[in-house]
Amino acid sequence: MVNITINGKQIEVEDGTTVLNAARQNDIKIPTLCDHPNLTPYGGCRLCVVEVKGMRVPIASCTLPASNGMVIETETDSLKKSRSTILSLLFSERNHFCPFCQVSGGDCELQNSAYDEHMTHWEMQPQWTNFPVDTSHSRFILDNNRCILCRRCIRACAEMSGNFTLGVEERGSATIVVADSNVPLGESTCVSCGSCVQVCPTGALIDRSSAYLGHDKNMTVTRSVCRGCSLGCGIMIHTRDNRIVKITGDYENRNAGTLCETGRYKTLDEKRVRLTTPMKRVAGQLTATSWENALTTLASNLTSNKNSIAALASTRLTVESMAAFKSLFADGLGNDVVTSIEEGRPTALQAKYAEANGEAIEGKLDTLRTSDCVLLIGADLSETHEVASFYIKRNMPKGTRLIVVDPSENGMDDLANLNLKPKAGTDEAVFDALEAAIVKEGLARTDMKKSKVALDVALNACGLAEEDVVDAARMLAEAVAPVIVYGKGISAFGGEAVMDAMVRVAKLTGASDSERRGILSVKGEANSLAAAQLKMDVPFEVKDRKVAYVAVGDDYVTKRLLKALEDVPYVVAQASYESALTDRADLVLPVNIWAEEAGHALNTEGRLQFAEAALTRPEGVRSNFDLLNEVAKLLGVTLNEDWRTALTARTSVVELEI
Amino acid sequence: MTKPKISSDWMAGCSGCHMSLLDIDERLLEIAELADIRATPITDLKEPDESGVDVGILEGGVNNSSNEEVAHRMRSRCKILVAFGDCAVFGGVPALRNMCGTQEALQRAYVDIESNDDSGKIPSDPELAVMSNVRALHEVVPVDLHVPGCPPDPDVIYYVLKELAEGRMPEIKDENLHWH
Repeated sequence: MVNITINGKQIEVEDGTTVLNAARQNDIKIPTLCDHPNLTPYGGCRLCVVEVKGMRVPIASCTLPASNGMVIETETDSLKKSRSTILSLLFSERNHFCPFCQVSGGDCELQNSAYDEHMTHWEMQPQWTNFPVDTSHSRFILDNNRCILCRRCIRACAEMSGNFTLGVEERGSATIVVADSNVPLGESTCVSCGSCVQVCPTGALIDRSSAYLGHDKNMTVTRSVCRGCSLGCGIMIHTRDNRIVKITGDYENRNAGTLCETGRYKTLDEKRVRLTTPMKRVAGQLTATSWENALTTLASNLTSNKNSIAALASTRLTVESMAAFKSLFADGLGNDVVTSIEEGRPTALQAKYAEANGEAIEGKLDTLRTSDCVLLIGADLSETHEVASFYIKRNMPKGTRLIVVDPSENGMDDLANLNLKPKAGTDEAVFDALEAAIVKEGLARTDMKKSKVALDVALNACGLAEEDVVDAARMLAEAVAPVIVYGKGISAFGGEAVMDAMVRVAKLTGASDSERRGILSVKGEANSLAAAQLKMDVPFEVKDRKVAYVAVGDDYVTKRLLKALEDVPYVVAQASYESALTDRADLVLPVNIWAEEAGHALNTEGRLQFAEAALTRPEGVRSNFDLLNEVAKLLGVTLNEDWRTALTARTSVVELEI
Repeated sequence: MTKPKISSDWMAGCSGCHMSLLDIDERLLEIAELADIRATPITDLKEPDESGVDVGILEGGVNNSSNEEVAHRMRSRCKILVAFGDCAVFGGVPALRNMCGTQEALQRAYVDIESNDDSGKIPSDPELAVMSNVRALHEVVPVDLHVPGCPPDPDVIYYVLKELAEGRMPEIKDENLHWH
């Protein structure tokens, strides 16, 4: 610990804390523009200058580590004058006229800083130079005229999304922010995660979808969880007049503010038509009806076909709703086909493995932060779980190596240090080959002397070159903290033996040992793991079933599901949007979308998170949970309300934090 | 004690700041009680008294030789000069033309603009004021008080006028400080 004095106040902070952070931790406000709590200190704007006893000149507190006995002043007259001069210089450098900037009036950190210094005007007038404006991107605009060169966007691009698209060109006051080697942002390597927009302190990065729709002070902000995939990133939903204006990353959550395009923007692109009235098929036509009539129809139908129901729910529903669904159709009505829309494809293999071995084999997403070698297999993270790909990408300049195993093209191929393209469906042989190579090269961390399968046999099966497999084996075995990340690709092709082969390699390379668990699977949608824990991971087998109850919620309907429903006599759709499913359904029950319902989500690493409802649902629409409870009541079924116990009834593949 | 004399004028602005001044509504009567409102663009008297006023208020940036004259005249005839609104304080919206320069702005406005026929030409009467870059008032004459805002809020204007009328220097900060 280090003891310092700021403005006469004795403060104790941890070693390595910057003076700025020490002040922050003790509610002492030091103004800053370039520093951001979630980014590496940069020391560019100089607004955070402080006086340190014994130092000749004022010094930037954001890059100054606190050291024992430091005596610091932050509010002297001379510092105030310095700050005002620094701000005046910043204003004079570009076009910072506030009346025609959309962040002016509350959301501009530059303007707010000037207000804090009681600046009524600029000592120095602007130099009237035009800087480029880049409007080529579909999500945001980069206006260099509003830029103060704090480089927060550049750091966010590198440190949050690991994308390294943004950088600067030119020098001094001519410096501009550019994408790649100065190509239009819309044609660059940008992945549209929007982190740069979220951290921009001025109006230099303008979000197209939320611009001019109000300042933060006009909006209600609800802490929530992204339902875009199973990673469960923390989000803040900014709403006004019951509509979502924008979504930003929650700095307090474990994703530390990082989001991908899906989480930040795609939800706002929703174009599907909302369902607001129950409908029932009369003489071949879907006809609007009352809730009372719809529920009576449903009750009589379900009662007469009690145990001939195939039930399927979206994994985007809350844990509460999924557990109620399971309890109603399986425990209550006694059906054995009660599953999720994923039918266990991304989870069933590992769930079975964990159950058979009685232990959690997977680790937490945090292991990716410190991993120096990642083997990615059966998943294209850049497509399905993009924030996990960011966790890997941002470490690569520090030397983290990436091995991508994928028979087809993978979005992370170009980044990989090594691409292994085995024959499709031979993942087990790939792991066997890795094991054999590790043993042969004498790199094993366990006392294994002989691999399960001989190297040449395994190589023959997967079709990989020996030299590539040996390279991969070396990378993994020589790494300090290797991690294996796998997705539903391996589940789709390999039998259960692939899990066994993978775990053996994990142990052999030290990815998994008594200390750490360096195996991760990304699974599927938001509540993929919850579906597995509730055993809603069986194939949707509808043969001879009289009724199919599909609680699709706001999820998309797959062709596979529609095909399966073709021969079912009676289809009930519990859905938020019109779709091919509702066209096919005999009874349509309109329900709310994700942001309208409070509830829990269990992410891929077993972390249970609660999300508040951010929107009020439209009139005539029920919540998924309420509707299921109502149906249960009509059928005389008592639902098991203890969903936490239901979740833990089965050995989980990853330790649950619930 | 005699009431302090207040005078105002406008330059390269949109008159919106004076509209906002009128927006203080019935409080105008209170100010008229406290101060002697002399020449303003919205009263009959058009130039500040040669004998001088206590407070001079100027709206708008300085965009040509005529504005310069207005600025210098007000400065020489008042004790406290107030830069009133974003154009006087920063240059404001008119200053956007500094980005392209005077000639290009004239060419665009008088000749190239879509609503013109082919006969458009830039006015060149020698009696016209000579254009310059748009400048903030403090670039031309010393200013004692800056009241930013586009326009300044009526409540801020009332506060400023009341303080000045009662012989105090207003403090523009916190809820009274808005640049637009």
